[in-house]
Amino acid sequence: MAVAPAVTYRPQRLVRTRRAVLVWCFLAPSLIIFLLYRIIPLLWNVALSFADWAPLRPMRWAGFDQYEEMFYDEVFWQALWNTLLFIASAPLGIVIALGLALLVSSDIRGRNVYRTIIFISYPLMTVAVAIIWRWLFEERVGLINYVARSLHLVDQPIQFLNSFFWALPSVIAANIWQMLGFYMIILLTGLQNIPPNLYEAAAIDGADARRRFWRITVPLLKPSLFLCFVIGMLNSFTSFDLVYVMTGGGPGRATELLVTYIYKLGFSQTRFDYAAAVTIVFFVMLVTITWMANRLSGGNAGAVEKD
Amino acid sequence: MHRYPRWPIHLALIGVSFLMLIPFYWVLKTSVTGENIFAYPPSILPKSPHPFYYVDVWYYIPFARYFLNSIIVSLLTVAANVVFNAMAGYALTRDFPAKSFVLLLFLSCMMVPFQATIIPAYLITGRLGLLDSYLGLALPQFSTIVCIFVFKASFDAVPRSLIDAARIDGLSEWRIIWQIMMPLAKGAIATNVILAFIWSWNNFLWPLIVTRSADMQTLPLGLARFLSYQEDTTGALYAFCIMVLAPGIVLFLLAQNEFIRGLASGATKG
Repeated sequence: MAVAPAVTYRPQRLVRTRRAVLVWCFLAPSLIIFLLYRIIPLLWNVALSFADWAPLRPMRWAGFDQYEEMFYDEVFWQALWNTLLFIASAPLGIVIALGLALLVSSDIRGRNVYRTIIFISYPLMTVAVAIIWRWLFEERVGLINYVARSLHLVDQPIQFLNSFFWALPSVIAANIWQMLGFYMIILLTGLQNIPPNLYEAAAIDGADARRRFWRITVPLLKPSLFLCFVIGMLNSFTSFDLVYVMTGGGPGRATELLVTYIYKLGFSQTRFDYAAAVTIVFFVMLVTITWMANRLSGGNAGAVEKD
Repeated sequence: MHRYPRWPIHLALIGVSFLMLIPFYWVLKTSVTGENIFAYPPSILPKSPHPFYYVDVWYYIPFARYFLNSIIVSLLTVAANVVFNAMAGYALTRDFPAKSFVLLLFLSCMMVPFQATIIPAYLITGRLGLLDSYLGLALPQFSTIVCIFVFKASFDAVPRSLIDAARIDGLSEWRIIWQIMMPLAKGAIATNVILAFIWSWNNFLWPLIVTRSADMQTLPLGLARFLSYQEDTTGALYAFCIMVLAPGIVLFLLAQNEFIRGLASGATKG
């Protein structure tokens, strides 16, 4: 009783100010982190991309010089192309994962064990995954060459990671292997949200398994498929560890991605200004692709809800 | 309904499981036998396995130091994440002027991937004098927007009447947070701990940029470094690899439901 009146009589304004102070104090740490490591870097990148600058040198206005150089830079175009190929591989993983999700969602014994086994590669350290796959692709004693030679698919061992043709597909294979379980979990959640009575009704109406899959499963799974695609795309777009450890961008520039190129420009050639310009192009592309994906998904999701 | 035979499904899933696990087996085999890279064919079963490569790792590299560095950075990240994200998430459940602006700011920050900030982030960390330090390694990951929203959703689910009742009973704001909100947000805390730990533990790009001395390297850096300077220590490299992976796998198997839920929710909103 002694405390309660104090609250009642406290001036309304003071209470309001105190609450506002509390809210901003609570937001402050996160805001500072995001300001320091998201907002300022973005603006700084923009500034650097229009400048001529290296550490310990004064900054000079350079206009669009960096962008012009990029336009004529073959390595940049190669890295861009490789990144797009990397992104384009995401649907392949998603289709495989869909098949696995359908298998695991059937009510067989031990499905949790299968789920665990398929998912386990996802949370692992990508550097270690890269080393594992380097070893599998090894020319002489790598498992993949051994199997291919034992089955007489090839006569000579393939130098997967040293071949201009095979290096990128090899890295992509490792990436799919790591992402597979993750896609599967997302799709599994989506499958579990489809009401089973839809299938029963369709079966009574005489729809066979194939039609049930195309007419019920796929349309209702669209949001999950889309989520997989967006995440797979972002993951491929920002991928660094796997390529850096497996091939280092080589042979030549056969597996160079935009992020590895930015890293090399910045930290082995100390060309911060040019690296910033490449970063800006990288970022604008990312925003564009994400925006397009969101627009597409908006249309799709709306169509599903209307039904 | 269930007339179809089960064995084809089992067969397919066993095949896939085999493909998912065989890479681990191949590395494990190499870590206990080594491999003569000039001998073909490689043996499928380990011939005379021995644990000596695991001993070698301790001599070749400061494994304990790397491990300790990784632990320190991850603990810093996890602790800061839970505290800061819970605070920000709680603030976002309240009404205050400029709230929509703050929300917009957070959502747009989510669009900036860390990979697009590495050059200025390095320069900023340099200005702060934090290069090559634990704080510098952990700082960019001190708060994550995904987890702020996980906390916000969790706090929003607490019934308003419960908070009002506590306030009428004269509980201070701090006690409301600590004694009512946090215990009800256990799920959010678990998700945040798991996500922050995984992101920090597996992080490679940022430590690669900010560390200079060998003393500050974390496990992923140590692995990549070891790969680049060894030639004939094949067995030891894979022993090191297994030593790095084993704790993660054990942790995952112990709390796999929390892991899967956390990772799925983190990605859903990321």
